[in-house]
Amino acid sequence: MAPQPTTDQSLSPALLPIQALIEAEQQDFIDGADGRKRAGYFCAYTPPEVLNAAGLRHARLFKAGSPEIVSQGERYTQSVFCDFSKSCIGGFDPQGGDPFYRSVDKLYTFHTCASMKRATEVIERFVPTKLLNLPRLRNEPASRAFFRDEIAHYRDDVAELAGRPVTDDQVTAQIVLYNKVRGLIRQLSELRKRPNPPLTGRDVLELVRGFYYLPPEKLLDVYGKLYRKLSRVRDNGKRPVRLMISGSIMADGDRRLVELIEQEIGARVVVEDHCTGLKPFAHTLPEEGDPFQALADGYLDQAPCARMKPLDDSLDFSSRLAEEYAVEGVVYVYLKFCACYGVSKLEFIERLQSRGVPVLEISSDYSQSDHGQLKTRVEAFIEVLQDRRTDLALPSGQTEEFVHG
Amino acid sequence: MKISDIVGSGPWPYAPADPVVGFDIGSRGSKGVLLTQDSIYTTFIPTGLYMQETADELLTRLLRDSGLKRRDIAFVVGTGYGRISLAYTDLPYQVVTEITCHAMGAHSLNPRTRTIIDIGGQDSKAIKIDPATGKVVEFVMNDKCAAGTGRFLEKAAVLLGLDLHELGPVALEANDPAMISSQCVVFAESEMISLRARGERHKDGAARANIAAGIHFATARRVKSLLGRIGTEPDLVFTGGVANNPGMWHALETLIGAKFARSPIDMIYAGALGAAVHAARHHAAALAAGTARRAARAQARTTASPARKAAARATAGRKTAAAHS
Repeated sequence: MAPQPTTDQSLSPALLPIQALIEAEQQDFIDGADGRKRAGYFCAYTPPEVLNAAGLRHARLFKAGSPEIVSQGERYTQSVFCDFSKSCIGGFDPQGGDPFYRSVDKLYTFHTCASMKRATEVIERFVPTKLLNLPRLRNEPASRAFFRDEIAHYRDDVAELAGRPVTDDQVTAQIVLYNKVRGLIRQLSELRKRPNPPLTGRDVLELVRGFYYLPPEKLLDVYGKLYRKLSRVRDNGKRPVRLMISGSIMADGDRRLVELIEQEIGARVVVEDHCTGLKPFAHTLPEEGDPFQALADGYLDQAPCARMKPLDDSLDFSSRLAEEYAVEGVVYVYLKFCACYGVSKLEFIERLQSRGVPVLEISSDYSQSDHGQLKTRVEAFIEVLQDRRTDLALPSGQTEEFVHG
Repeated sequence: MKISDIVGSGPWPYAPADPVVGFDIGSRGSKGVLLTQDSIYTTFIPTGLYMQETADELLTRLLRDSGLKRRDIAFVVGTGYGRISLAYTDLPYQVVTEITCHAMGAHSLNPRTRTIIDIGGQDSKAIKIDPATGKVVEFVMNDKCAAGTGRFLEKAAVLLGLDLHELGPVALEANDPAMISSQCVVFAESEMISLRARGERHKDGAARANIAAGIHFATARRVKSLLGRIGTEPDLVFTGGVANNPGMWHALETLIGAKFARSPIDMIYAGALGAAVHAARHHAAALAAGTARRAARAQARTTASPARKAAARATAGRKTAAAHS
């Protein structure tokens, strides 16, 4: 995929330095001039703490593939795989893959859904891959013990790739460092609780993109500067319609829904209940004791993916987030053929609606052809929300009347 | 047509102070409705390649039918898939989505409407509306494919050698509707081809009717699934171009197990009528704010040409005002 242009009109100017850093880092990753080994991972359940402790270059591989990449991926799957899993396979494909993916020395996958597990098994033929288990029953003590050992295995494998040992203390130091980074993301996101947020949903997706491409030392610096800048922005009294995006992964490059909502229609995404927005940063890891148990507990306690059990934990998290950020509506968007979010959608929608939050359901993919259809749905949803706003502003029992000439 | 012929002699709360127009530029057909204090004019043409030309043609026809002049039009609202392509320099214009417009169109004719099924050329939707206000409570649209839409029926008519308007009546003659299981237009087409090729009853009218009925039921099943979240609270109203198809009417009523309320006009115009009602509302707001076109015109007439610029500024201001009303 071509790198994004440096003058991205869709981002607030304050975010452009982060975008420039990401681009430079991606180029360095591909060039690999310093000889450091490069690790990639797919899922937000993979602790980058261990990769960073080993001194590896590392990145989450979560790009939305171009139509060419997706169709490369489809050669190895059936059509009923989501476009994200096809993008992952297509990115690694020796013919016409993504140079960034192709430069990865080893892939680590704590697999979540069955499609991603199968995708990983295809990718094994293109790149050395370590498939690791992530328990579903997150509250079982046995799951916690098992996951702790799985992360210790992961450490061993990572140390071997890096060619140096990774000590417990080094891992603990990274936990402390990453906790600070996660804390800053939360602080930045909370600026969106203002009636007129100083940063857009599109901006926050870029922040999170930074988290997955940049080393934590750089993140502390750029996030800190950004926070100081944005927290001084004055409120100008505008009150855009406040939305939450909920559902499956919103991949790097999958920006059309958010850009449609914010730039074409003028509403705001104020919080994300998905694994490439605020959701994975809601939790702080324990900084004391066995660092592997801390990682196991921390990652199992993070806001759960819909593949985890019990699903109620995910539903509780969604409705709490919607309330905390005072959202007026939720856009629940899932990738077509997603066995997790596509199947649990009704539970999410019913839960949110029972709390009085209107929900728009959208199934999406990485094709570019349905802009008009998408726009009609989102626009009509915003019209409904604006009508609700008018109704709520009027005293009860009174409805808006037409003025007759 | 007199409004009183449609909604009875009582006052109709949606009648505009001055003539207003609603356009519904659909994927297949474009509809226009002109409302005056006491009359309604409707017109339909196939959507052309250029949406603005289509809208201009609709307006020309509406003005001809009503005997009005372009300068008499106080407000225009556009809806439908082509709504974004329209632009006017001389008429106050707003865009509203077809979901909101269909709700208002159905509500303005029948205030008991709670549930709408709209089937158009390229999409279908189920809309739940608040009978007190005509506002949308919730809506569900079809997936982005032609199953369950008018396009599907068009394809089927071609395969059966029928004109589109014959398809529904032929389906009503079925004695044993064919089972068409595919949810996909392309696969359903091949199912139809194999049904047709079964040979012995190839020329048999009943076979054609049974296939036509099967197509309607397949489409209706698809549309019925949209009602899952919305429910079927009466009055249930059928809008959009496909509402003219008696075969679809029958298939939906059979599958849903409820009757549609009869509508006093052809419900292909529901979206355009809703747009016109929204135009009336915008015009009323402009009148209340003192920025309406009528006032601006009076001002322009009584002052010399430098005042034209002022009138133009007022037009720009009015657009902003309308957008926030």
